[in-house]
Amino acid sequence: MKKLNISTLISFVFLLCMTLIWIFPLAWAFLSSFKDEVDIQTFGFSMLPVHWVITNYQDLLFDNSSTPVAKWFMNSMIISVTQTVLVLVVVSMAAYGYTRLRFKGRDWLFSFLLASMMFPAVVNLIPLYKIIDTLGWVNTYWAAIVPGAAAVFNVFLVRQFMIGIPLELDESARIDGANDFQIYTKVTLPLIKPVLTVVALFTFTSSWNDFLWPSIVFNDIDRMPITPGLQLLQGMYVTDIGHAMSAALIAIVPTFILYLFTQRYFLQSMSLTSGVKG
Amino acid sequence: MDVKLSENKRVDVLSPVSLKPRRKGFNVMPMVFIGPHMLLFALFFLIPIFFGVYISFTNWDLINTPEFVGLQNYKEILFNKESTFYAQLHTGLGNTFKFVVFTVPACIIIPLMLAAALHVKPKGSKLFQAIFYLPVLFSISAVMIIWSMMFNVSFGPINHYFSSAPNWLGTQPYAWVALVVVTVWWGIGGNMIIYQAALNGVSKDYYEAASLDGAGRIQKFFHITLPSIKNQLLFTVVITTIAQFNIYGQALMLTKGGPSSSTTVLLMYIQQNAFGSGQSIAGIGSAMAVILGLCIMAVSIIQFFLLREKK
Repeated sequence: MKKLNISTLISFVFLLCMTLIWIFPLAWAFLSSFKDEVDIQTFGFSMLPVHWVITNYQDLLFDNSSTPVAKWFMNSMIISVTQTVLVLVVVSMAAYGYTRLRFKGRDWLFSFLLASMMFPAVVNLIPLYKIIDTLGWVNTYWAAIVPGAAAVFNVFLVRQFMIGIPLELDESARIDGANDFQIYTKVTLPLIKPVLTVVALFTFTSSWNDFLWPSIVFNDIDRMPITPGLQLLQGMYVTDIGHAMSAALIAIVPTFILYLFTQRYFLQSMSLTSGVKG
Repeated sequence: MDVKLSENKRVDVLSPVSLKPRRKGFNVMPMVFIGPHMLLFALFFLIPIFFGVYISFTNWDLINTPEFVGLQNYKEILFNKESTFYAQLHTGLGNTFKFVVFTVPACIIIPLMLAAALHVKPKGSKLFQAIFYLPVLFSISAVMIIWSMMFNVSFGPINHYFSSAPNWLGTQPYAWVALVVVTVWWGIGGNMIIYQAALNGVSKDYYEAASLDGAGRIQKFFHITLPSIKNQLLFTVVITTIAQFNIYGQALMLTKGGPSSSTTVLLMYIQQNAFGSGQSIAGIGSAMAVILGLCIMAVSIIQFFLLREKK
């Protein structure tokens, strides 16, 4: 019993120290977002603001045409939500096809998809831009929404989950005269909600946080999502810590709130995906 | 043949699915269900991959029709010592490798330590776990804005609290240290969760048997824990290595590739050559991307064989 207490204590102290390191940048960023630029130039480092101001947030959200953070935020929201919906529809249908429909070469086709995941996406970057350009999608939301829905991993994840659902359920629906669309919407979709929740959360966060791709396909400042937008903003507020921190915090609010309410799914799904792959 | 037929018949009678009359001819249902994903996959993944490899053998500028130039781009970036692209590839790939070598061990060991500590389940471990995972949810650009301020020489907390005050982002080796610190802070959550699950899966019997043999805590860790979670360790080493090969945002926004190109990574040069200001040199950019892609693929192939040997 004594031994156990020692190891618990050591673990606790270690974790507490590490947590402080993890929390500090966020806490300081939060406090700094209320600092006045003049104070920072005058006093140098401080933990708390000398004078608390909310002008940084006001500037960014309401009257700043060179860094339209509110607009970026809305752009990101539209892109991420639309992509999530698109991915859910496309992926669940594909998974239904690969598990519930019989057709020639089905498993071969799926193995081919899986093998394609080995190809590094970096080679795609330049030609993908050309395709988007040809479609006339540069500087449109579509450029950020559609290509991401081609990812194979989500199909794999949903398919794995769907395999575990007994076929008898489909069959009894079929006896009652249901066709594939009815089975898909009435039987399958309700049953795969857990895995779809995970796919939705991951799609939304990765879409919201995507950086390299949107920074290539958006050069119109008003159309840009917030993640590449912040890079431009960084160049404008090099030493203006108040504005820079406010912008960064505005950008992390949606995923932070999502995490607060759905933490369980994020933490579960990591072990789900690793269990499947490893 | 007869046997087969009768078997089929039997199945037909027993299986409720086949009570429905089977449709004759081409079945469109599969196309309807997998078609949309197939189309997206072909257009936005498959075609670009082939196209990407092809244009690395051309002098493409993103606008005009690409002209086939054979191995010229590769010769230029791999062997022509006078060329700026030769210098770019060697600096960029070298720095990318350095980044991988510096960050991967830290991104394995630190989350493993955290997972081991959390495994003891001290008070508040749920909260600790949630906090370590939190930065994973944030975008690279938001995180880099916060950390570039953290490392700021005149008002950043790091120089304030540590008496020796180097210019973190502007001098080496501090710039590398800064990159490793932010990368660890940002991205270890996933590996930590994987290790936690792995540790939960190790049977308690092994530890009890080892205790009876008089094994100490550290012996147990190296002789029982590590071998038991070997698969997960290997898996995380591979996915972490692949992820770090794609280093871009940290170097771009934190150190801006500096001081004097010592942290300019290959993806930055690829982006510059293809999409930077001035005329696009997409052909050269693609050749660089293919070389980076080959490095990444080598890692996934090693993983494939290692995992296959296990089975």
